[in-house]
Amino acid sequence: MTIRHRSVLRAVAAAAAGLVALAACGGPAPSGGGGDGTVSGEISLLTPIFEGADGAAVLEEQLAAFQAQHPGVTVKPDYTTYGKLNEKLTTSIASGQPYDVMLMGAGWIPPFAEKGVLADLGLEPAELGARYYERAVDAGVHEGKVYALPIMMDTRIGIYRKDLFAQAGITEPPKNFAELREYGKRLTQRAPDGTLQVAGLDVLGIDPRQAFLTMLWAAGGELFGPDGSPAFNSPAGVKALQTMADVIQVDRSEDVGWTTPNSPTGNVMAQGRAAMAVGHHHFWTQIQEEAPELIAEDKLGFFVITDERPAMFQGGTLATVSAQSKHPEAARALAEFLASEGPVLAANEQRGNIPSLKSLESSEFVQQNGAIQFAMQNFEHAHSEGGVPQWLEIRDKFKPAIESALLGQKSPQQALDDLAAEASAALAGR
Amino acid sequence: MSPEGTSAPVAPPVPSGPGPGRLGGAPRPGRILLHAVLVALSLAMVAPFVWMVLTSLKSHAEVMSYPPTVLPSVWQWVNYPDALGFAPFGTYFRNSMVIAVSHTAINVALAAMAGYALARLPFRGRTPALVFVLAAMMIPTFTKIVPQYLLAKTMPFFGGNDFLGRGGSGWLDSWWALIVPGAVTPLAIFLFRQFYLSLPRELEEAARLDGLGEFGIFARVMTPLMKPAIATVALITFENSWNNFVWPLIVTRTDQLRVIQVGLAAFQQTERTLWEYLMAGTVLATVPMIVLFLFTQRYFVQGFATAGIK
Amino acid sequence: MAAPTAAPPATRAVAGAHRRSRPLGHERRRAAYLMLAPGMLHLAWWIGVPTVATFVLAFTRYDILAGTMAWAGLDNFVAIFRDPVWWTAVWNTVVYTFFTVPVAMAIAVVIAVLLNTNLRARAWYRTAVFMPHITATVAIALVWMWMFEPNIGLFNWVLSWFGVRGPAWTSDPAWAMTSVILMSVWKGIGLKMVIYLAALQGIPHDLYEAAEIDGAGPVRRFFAVTLPLLGPATFFVLVVSLIESFQVFEQFYVLTPEGGPAGSTTVMTYEIYKSAFQRFDMSVASAQSVVLFVFLLVLTIVGRRFTGRDDVA
Repeated sequence: MTIRHRSVLRAVAAAAAGLVALAACGGPAPSGGGGDGTVSGEISLLTPIFEGADGAAVLEEQLAAFQAQHPGVTVKPDYTTYGKLNEKLTTSIASGQPYDVMLMGAGWIPPFAEKGVLADLGLEPAELGARYYERAVDAGVHEGKVYALPIMMDTRIGIYRKDLFAQAGITEPPKNFAELREYGKRLTQRAPDGTLQVAGLDVLGIDPRQAFLTMLWAAGGELFGPDGSPAFNSPAGVKALQTMADVIQVDRSEDVGWTTPNSPTGNVMAQGRAAMAVGHHHFWTQIQEEAPELIAEDKLGFFVITDERPAMFQGGTLATVSAQSKHPEAARALAEFLASEGPVLAANEQRGNIPSLKSLESSEFVQQNGAIQFAMQNFEHAHSEGGVPQWLEIRDKFKPAIESALLGQKSPQQALDDLAAEASAALAGR
Repeated sequence: MSPEGTSAPVAPPVPSGPGPGRLGGAPRPGRILLHAVLVALSLAMVAPFVWMVLTSLKSHAEVMSYPPTVLPSVWQWVNYPDALGFAPFGTYFRNSMVIAVSHTAINVALAAMAGYALARLPFRGRTPALVFVLAAMMIPTFTKIVPQYLLAKTMPFFGGNDFLGRGGSGWLDSWWALIVPGAVTPLAIFLFRQFYLSLPRELEEAARLDGLGEFGIFARVMTPLMKPAIATVALITFENSWNNFVWPLIVTRTDQLRVIQVGLAAFQQTERTLWEYLMAGTVLATVPMIVLFLFTQRYFVQGFATAGIK
Repeated sequence: MAAPTAAPPATRAVAGAHRRSRPLGHERRRAAYLMLAPGMLHLAWWIGVPTVATFVLAFTRYDILAGTMAWAGLDNFVAIFRDPVWWTAVWNTVVYTFFTVPVAMAIAVVIAVLLNTNLRARAWYRTAVFMPHITATVAIALVWMWMFEPNIGLFNWVLSWFGVRGPAWTSDPAWAMTSVILMSVWKGIGLKMVIYLAALQGIPHDLYEAAEIDGAGPVRRFFAVTLPLLGPATFFVLVVSLIESFQVFEQFYVLTPEGGPAGSTTVMTYEIYKSAFQRFDMSVASAQSVVLFVFLLVLTIVGRRFTGRDDVA
């Protein structure tokens, strides 16, 4: 009886395992071409950017140019959003039919490269550094090899309202955390009954992890040590988080709930409800849409968050090539094309983000966007998160830990130590 | 009350005898109070939707302004055509409609049969079968989605696959994958089963004496009394299918096969959400559901189930 | 399509005598299998196989990116039971279910009874109550975010009339769960009402008439006649609501993103989503799903004890 049960179980298990295995062996390539090194074939492209009809039109225009250069190649783009990118990636990879070219975020590169999903592009980081911002190139490098080419970058920087600074008699942006807190306190306005009216320093308007990492790097800290173990609970890390928590708990320069990342109730800086923020370069675009007069009247200023050193958080979208691509040459050509001037400018213009190519600093688009211009001028201070293959496992543990400190539930030291313990467990493979 | 088992659905208000919930011929003040309560309740239920409609008519700057305005300062009717121009909504709408209608038709037919068998026909394995139907609802979508994707991809003989489902892409990027996997839901089977349970046994036995076969009893005696349940299943199936997003996005690669919810998701980008367009698109996407509901709610009328035995 | 004529009580005995005769039983069995086959085969393939795969994967270490798989025994279960976040998620799910399911069910059944009367404009009342269910969560959640906005939102504005300074709702760990529960009750009533409404159509009038003759008032009739006869529907609503509630995702994801303030509103399905599609760990996601499955199975059995008695036709 038990034996029979067990064998049934085993058969079922084998069947289910077989399903996975069967699906994963993609089988022979359906069409030939490209065997002799010529660039040809039909290649699929997965993109979480170029959204909507506008975005699609921009991409199709660029792809037409690509296909004109490579007459043998057809590109089939598949549009998704960042919100559902992982579902698309997971299912296509699990089925053994990944997209030939995949656009993805910086945090994805080390884990995907480590697992053999991505093809080594065979490029030299140093050579790329001549054309791209070095920090942007770094985001696509894993263990010394280039797996991805940067297209579109984003940064977290300090943003302030020049008019409110002038009102408070502050002449230049803060140069360290002490000044940051001090200015925040001076800029805060509360009604007689204590109701907050203007937050002096907004630290809640961007993702808490990204805000903390910006502060961590500015305090001279690092995410991981040279040996790959957690380093964010160093004294520098504690100082960074302590500063953020003090802004809310001690200085009361902002109340919990004042704003949220990507708030559906609008950008607090555009509304005049925050004087200074650890913000996103994209605030510029938001303010341009919500309160264009602030930009017309030059009321917006930027600074790199600085304490021990100036530091910006950088994220980005990069082009990668699948290790299983049946047309690797064509796929590589497309990835390189998407990271070249035309597509990079078009993509960033459509989304209001930062081009990865130095040459585009002089483009009209960049010249018209103060935040992007500022970010590009200071790109040498940019840092990428990640760096360890387990990053995607560790990443989502940050938000609750940072928030527990901001809410005063845990001391910054305790919150970071607990987080480091969890990260170590993930790094050890649980 | 006369039997009306075969007549077309009657629009409300139906002149019927002393209705069950009619609060026993309540006096006028009671009625007024009841209406007052229902109006207040309805307002509470609809208010967010009204706010949504108002938001869909504001400019982006106004949506994001603080404090918010109640009525749009300038009525931006142009948001609607603009939102529709943001993505190929014509194609999306057609695709969603095809999928939702086929899901509804297939689900009502197959789930009614299965539910009837589970409720009214004795056979060995009935309890395990019911447990299986219930259990089929208990694994969350996120876990099922990868295996389901692999099943669709390995469908033999389709999309260049051999008989073992290897080599090609199976049902991926085709109507098959959009329609078949979600066509029968355990929820509908379970709902039908519960509703068939409450029909009186006399009906079935009388029909059997009249010489009707088992299919005849199902199709000609019992199911015509199930219009409220059919309406409910149709409503739920259509709504689920209409609002489904992840599966249609994952199994398709071309824009030609995408659905309306994918279009709405494009308004939400990483750095910002185009709220006024999202609201306009959602209002438009909700309209077919409201129409469907106004139509089906007519079937929630006293009398169908009991007509036969009165 | 003729409605059957009458079924006088006398025929019942006759039919009862015939029922156990072999040909009839055989025919009914055959009919049962034929009617079940299409639906059940469909479920077996599209849901049964993925469910089995989930149970198998829960005992493996499947690396979906690298495409490798190895048996892991109970490792995944040990891992999730050692994870405090998972326990928070389990607890939050239970709390959420405890407050949403019974409340929404009670409100829904009362509204269904009220809207089953011969009322002017009842189609519009019904539509209004059903509206929240059919509107896409993402869009409607914006409106709720405005209502929960701590400074000028609707809730705190109303509270300010009474001199109460309201909480920060979705940003306050102490109130974030309450916020989602409020919205979920609002959103969940409509569907339950529709099912009750459909079920109410099956209750024969004469039972009410008899109760009325016995002098039962509306409230007595509701408890003595309506509620007991809604048994099968109540079992359905209960099971489906429990499943829906244990698998809730969207409301939480939109209103209190990424587990809410300091992780205070993480729920089981969000943890499963995170395991599967943020950490690419299908094995842990499967193990978590198996735990969720067991919870639902037990609750369904318990629920059947309470609303049961409907089983044999």
